[in-house]
Amino acid sequence: MLEIKNLFVKLAEEDRQILKGLTLTVPKGEVHAIMGPNGSGKSTLAYVLAGRDGYEVTDGDILWNGESILGMEPDERAAKGVFLAFQYPMEIPGVAGLTFLRTATNAVRKKRGEAELSTPEFMRVVKDKAAKLNIAVEMLKRPVNVGFSGGEKKRSEILQMAMLEPTLCVLDETDSGLDIDALKVVSDGVNALRSPDRAMLVITHYQRLLNHIVPDRVHVLAAGKIQKSGGKELALELEKSGYAEFTGKAA
Amino acid sequence: MSVQVTKTKAEQMLTEAFAGAEAALPGSDAVTKLRREAIGAFSALGLPTRRVEEWKYTDLRARLADSFPVAMDSVSGSQAIGGLLDGTAPGLLPGLNAYTIVFVDGALEPRTLPEDVKGLEVLPLATALESVPAWVEKALGETARPADAAVALNTALMAGGVAMRIADDVSLDRPIHLVFAQSGSEPKLVTTRVIVDLGARASLSLVETHVAMGTSVRQQNTLVTLALGEAAQVAHVKNLTVDKGSIHLSNSVVRLGARATYKPFQMTTGGGLVRHGLDLRFEGTHASLDFAALALPDMSGHVDTTLVIDHRVAHCTSRELYKCVLDGTARGVFQGKVIVAPGAQKTDGKQMAQALMLSPEAEFDSKPELEIYADDVVCGHGSTSAEIDEDLLFYCRSRGIPKAEARALLIESFIGEVIDKVEHEALREALVARAGAWLRAGHV
Ligand SMILES: Nc1ncnc2c1ncn2[C@@H]1O[C@H](COP(=O)(O)OP(=O)(O)O)[C@@H](O)[C@H]1O
Ligand SMILES: [Mg+2]
Repeated sequence: MLEIKNLFVKLAEEDRQILKGLTLTVPKGEVHAIMGPNGSGKSTLAYVLAGRDGYEVTDGDILWNGESILGMEPDERAAKGVFLAFQYPMEIPGVAGLTFLRTATNAVRKKRGEAELSTPEFMRVVKDKAAKLNIAVEMLKRPVNVGFSGGEKKRSEILQMAMLEPTLCVLDETDSGLDIDALKVVSDGVNALRSPDRAMLVITHYQRLLNHIVPDRVHVLAAGKIQKSGGKELALELEKSGYAEFTGKAA
Repeated sequence: MSVQVTKTKAEQMLTEAFAGAEAALPGSDAVTKLRREAIGAFSALGLPTRRVEEWKYTDLRARLADSFPVAMDSVSGSQAIGGLLDGTAPGLLPGLNAYTIVFVDGALEPRTLPEDVKGLEVLPLATALESVPAWVEKALGETARPADAAVALNTALMAGGVAMRIADDVSLDRPIHLVFAQSGSEPKLVTTRVIVDLGARASLSLVETHVAMGTSVRQQNTLVTLALGEAAQVAHVKNLTVDKGSIHLSNSVVRLGARATYKPFQMTTGGGLVRHGLDLRFEGTHASLDFAALALPDMSGHVDTTLVIDHRVAHCTSRELYKCVLDGTARGVFQGKVIVAPGAQKTDGKQMAQALMLSPEAEFDSKPELEIYADDVVCGHGSTSAEIDEDLLFYCRSRGIPKAEARALLIESFIGEVIDKVEHEALREALVARAGAWLRAGHV
């Protein structure tokens, strides 16, 4: 279970508070959506969950399975099952996708006390998972994300997620830049990972993604905190009314 | 150039070393004359300081406190050279199926000279300097009247080495691997010369390894002359480790005939002072140079790579890619001078120098220089110096890759682009392994 308790986050370099008392609980087996206007701090929340530098938690806590993760390094969190699918996946020139996937997969397996995958085992698993996401193995021989289209990058993120078998999946605007076909492939990939052992936090600006990845709960993030929570129908309401009501509150 | 009035201790010692060694140095009367002219030139030049443009970032006069005793080309006999021959000694390149010629402290191990290889003529340097066949004479002519102190010292003191000629149309079936090992515990001054001459359409994969087996500090001065006939091809890999306290001065003097191609690659590790000079001249049209170098100095190492590329004739192509990864107080220097003569139209010259800085105390100096006297040319250069990208590091770590491993991955990706230039697969893999070993020796 993910428990975010009264979280206050400011930018490390600037005197600007982004999250101001955010509280949220996502039980295992559930998918929660976070929606909110641009600049409301959705990505900030995602980065703070993953442990990126540049943000300072000034109050509150984040517990994953009852344990605070705030003091953990990003790779330790990954080993504990935290995975962030980036809004803007990064390009790593010179590192082949397969090398990257294998290094990452075996690093987390090792940390989790599981046996590392041999080359043939790894290739079998990666081929199988890549095929489901319409990713050609040829593409994985190229450097990570270099020269990939927006849709290819997002599928590559989901492949990484599938390989690392996380238990807390945070997806930051995975729908942005996807056409309808790619959206379907990516959503199927995410849905395939839904399981009673996994919690998912799906961040999106638009309701469209939630037709494919149907959430158990929807939360509205604005002015640094959760302003409203509800069932999946809340996403449809927001689609009609927009976020004006909540940004108004912020003023 | 004004004559320096006061000589440093090292300058005096080097001049005296020549006087002491002269009688025992090999060569015909003509060679003796060359040596005397060269030491005269050295006396006039002195050791280079920062005021000499080619040595702007390596003040050899200040760095060279004294000179070490001269090592002579005597048969060293009972050296344990097994690990040098099969590539299993540290710093060597295992898995390379080559004709390996071993030099210990500059002295040729005669039993390692390849025999009866069709189209290949190999002479110990001493023999070549006594008999001076025309192709050797021509090669020696390229380093006569030196303007560079290191070249002058090499001509004056060259003691060990080899001269090789490959006949027209001959492609050797295996690389030639020259292994220069340094043994023992006494400081020594080792001066070697390699002369390579390729006939028309001949091709050669030449590998040089310089490695210390003993514990001593060395002053090494190596010079390779390469003359490539029409459409000849040479891949020239230089792999070296120079330990702290040692100095390695090297020069390549390369002359390319029409349509010849020269592909050098250098990988340097260690904490010593290293200087690579390349003096390359295009003498026939449509020839090409594809230069790549990787410097991985240890914490206090200093690696200076200074090139002078002379486009004398039209339609030639030159490419230079230099990379260094600098940790501690290491220093990387890249100077690439490209001269395009009047009439050398359609010259295509590009260079790129990139440093990855692992420490705020490290220093990278990059100085491209273009002297273009023709109007229809494409020439360009670039230079970057950067630290490991924090965003990429976070991306890797968010995928569970521990910090040190993530840094290693990103450094390897930086290095990879340049090692990939080595086409010979076993050689490339051996170099990748060497770079990996360097990384894991505390640089991540
Ligand atoms: N590293 C950063 N440096 C400067 N400003 C930042 C940084 N991260 C976020 N911000 C600012 O914080 C606010 C929230 O950004 P973000 O979390 O990206 O919002 P969202 O994902 O909801 O669009 C924005 O005003 C953004 O400019
Ligand atoms: Mg965002």
